[in-house]
Amino acid sequence: MLKTSKRKRKEWIETLCFTIPALALVTIMMYIPFVMSGYYSLTEWNGIAKDPVFIGLENFRKLFSGGSIFVGTLWFTIKYTLFFIVFSNVIALALAVALTKKFRLANVYRGLFFIPYIMSMTIVGFIWKFIFTKGFEKLFDITQFGFLNFSWLGDPNFAFYSVAFVGVWQALGFYIVLYIAGLQAIPGDVLEAAVVDGATSRQTFFKVTLPLLGPSITTCIFMSLTNGLKVFDIILALTKGGPGTATYSTTMQIYQEAFTNNNYGMGSAEAIIYFIFVLITTQLVLKVMSRREVDL
Amino acid sequence: MGMKKKAATCKTALIVILTLLALIYIYPVFLMFMNAFKPFGEVVSDPIALPKEPTFENITYVVKKIHYGRLFFNNVMITVIGIVGIVFFSSLAAYILDRRRNRYTAMIYTLIITPMLIPFQTIMITLLKAMNVIHLDQSRVGLGIQYWGFGIPMATFIFYNFMNTIPKEIDESAKIDGASTWRTYVSIIFPLLKSVTFTVIVLDVMWIWNDFLLPLLMVNSSNKTKTLVLAAYTFVGQMNTKWQYAMAAMALTVLPSIIIFIVLQKYIVEGVVAGAVKG
Repeated sequence: MLKTSKRKRKEWIETLCFTIPALALVTIMMYIPFVMSGYYSLTEWNGIAKDPVFIGLENFRKLFSGGSIFVGTLWFTIKYTLFFIVFSNVIALALAVALTKKFRLANVYRGLFFIPYIMSMTIVGFIWKFIFTKGFEKLFDITQFGFLNFSWLGDPNFAFYSVAFVGVWQALGFYIVLYIAGLQAIPGDVLEAAVVDGATSRQTFFKVTLPLLGPSITTCIFMSLTNGLKVFDIILALTKGGPGTATYSTTMQIYQEAFTNNNYGMGSAEAIIYFIFVLITTQLVLKVMSRREVDL
Repeated sequence: MGMKKKAATCKTALIVILTLLALIYIYPVFLMFMNAFKPFGEVVSDPIALPKEPTFENITYVVKKIHYGRLFFNNVMITVIGIVGIVFFSSLAAYILDRRRNRYTAMIYTLIITPMLIPFQTIMITLLKAMNVIHLDQSRVGLGIQYWGFGIPMATFIFYNFMNTIPKEIDESAKIDGASTWRTYVSIIFPLLKSVTFTVIVLDVMWIWNDFLLPLLMVNSSNKTKTLVLAAYTFVGQMNTKWQYAMAAMALTVLPSIIIFIVLQKYIVEGVVAGAVKG
């Protein structure tokens, strides 16, 4: 009896020794700053000079009282994420279908589409900034296509599409390889059976391939959702949130509030709302999708 | 016969369209590299064509100006420190948490993986203060260590799910042979985790190597500690109209990733797919 309890204790000490480093690191880097954010969101604080002043829910009231652009940044983030999810998934799926056809350079093409994904998003933003300004100007000289002469980064309406387009361009390769993996996992005899039964290629795609692709679609939609909500680097490099505040994502707003305006308290309040917003959105989508998958 | 011929034409048409699409798609990357080799006048007068008189002047200028060698070393150092810690601490925790399943280890597991739900921007403001208190800011080693905390939740989750597939009998026979738990982990379990370790490494290298915001907050104040992307960001900002230098800096920043990708394409894609499916 005594021996087992001694052994048990030894096992416990071992378990703790093996897990405490991970637990401690996560606590220091994530839990403690998280709790601190919660506290600072209730204060007015400029970061360095004086101690934070406790002001209760005042920051939150201000954020939703109309004078703040914060609600607008949430809308931008929603709009961007929707655009990002729809276009990256639809285009990636179409390209994945084409790229799973057997031809000699298929692998090279897959690699080409993946390259922007391994590049830093900041650099991607800069490349496109150059193209939208200098590149389009030159192309317009050559072709005289009117759309090339638009102010793609300077006009508030166009700027949204420019940013969203570059976001899709950068990430597309990632979703392509996920869909390719999903398509290759579909057993060939199922597709053959459909052809034997006289299904057209369109019918085969929508009635056989697409339903069997369910898990891949779920993964890709969820990944594009979380990645869309996080958008930051590309915007910073492309437009810095401008013109005006037209392309301010919530992440951008938190960053500017804290590190440009030195409103650390207000920034923390925005960060907390952003957390709740992301949590609710992702959990909701996860729930809807898991229900859908059972239906299939 | 007619059907077959039609199908073949269809396929050729598809390949032609796909080729065009792929070329247009990758053109912006190509354009960046091209302009890195053009003199200033040519970048301005014709930004989209091939260089007429290619020059290495931009590249040599930028390599010297931004201390490319040092930046590259900083990136490697930060990434290596980050990866080693993430892989070690996560696999260690996942191993014991899987093998000693009970109410308490389940709780520890939940505590370790839950931060996956916290977006970075939610904690970045206070993180800066917290890291300042424990002196992990303004240092490359400190930045590498910070990645441990951010990478562990996801990595532990991936390792933990994989531990299931390693039969417990292996541990038991090692125990009978007199190996300690630590010994078993080092010489038996960790080698068996090879494939999933590889997945974690691919995902985390891509993340840490290209990460922007955390380095911007933590190591931006001194040129000695900057990362490649960070230096390129500052440099491009200063070179507002000198696009030839900006392009050279950008090209030099992404070049290592592209070379590694071309060499390891198959493995990188495999790792990314596995990571997405498991995560």
